[in-house]
Amino acid sequence: MALSELKENGVTILAVDGSLDAEETQILETRVLALLESGETALLFDFSGLDYINSSGLRVLVLAYQRLKKTAGKVAICGIKDYIQEVFEVSGYDRIFPLFPDRGQALAGM
Amino acid sequence: MAEKSISFTLTNKQQCFQCFQPIVEEFGAANGLKSKTVFHLTLVLDELITNIISYGYADHDEHPIEVSISLDRDTLRIRLEDDARPFNILEAPEPELDLPLEERARPIGGMGVHLVRNMMHNIAYKRENGKNILLLEKQLTQNGCDSRN
Repeated sequence: MALSELKENGVTILAVDGSLDAEETQILETRVLALLESGETALLFDFSGLDYINSSGLRVLVLAYQRLKKTAGKVAICGIKDYIQEVFEVSGYDRIFPLFPDRGQALAGM
Repeated sequence: MAEKSISFTLTNKQQCFQCFQPIVEEFGAANGLKSKTVFHLTLVLDELITNIISYGYADHDEHPIEVSISLDRDTLRIRLEDDARPFNILEAPEPELDLPLEERARPIGGMGVHLVRNMMHNIAYKRENGKNILLLEKQLTQNGCDSRN
């Protein structure tokens, strides 16, 4: 897994490439918690390079959602592959997280 | 000739994903399975084995987890056998999908089990000689993709 980060229009974009298995999810969770602690209020997960996610990966997204909801912050996801979108649909998270086709549309819509 | 079945043993002391993921990829490639099917197979094994390792053992000893995967025409079968505490996936509570996240008593509890139930078509469980034996089946089309999609 490779994690890269940049800030654009007040939104922190976390691009996750590769697999989010249990070990890699731990790295993402640590980073997300640090960003939330430092007061970030808008997070965009760019999953265009993501090949794998499991329920612990989803849990990190839920964690960000629950924390940001309290402070009227935002969390969105962009670029997910169709078979990963199915995981969001089966878990019902497609109704909770705004899903955008790409980064540009996400930044415009957040 | 392509290998139609494969068996391997993991233990609760290993990083399970790194151990089985290459084996599943190889099985998928050898049998011409669609990448989506390989993803489902990997996710199902990941969720089940993670559950066993995370919640299954009261001691700190090493325990074997036996995995078999087979392909019989259009039926993909998984068999998991472990000596962890009894756990019947068919009786595990469903996540509260219809409630908003903030109102759920168990916000993400059971999501792994929910994913497994949705990605497999038939699931059978038995407890035998102190072991959990889980049999899962997925119906594929002739092209090796999920027949429901």
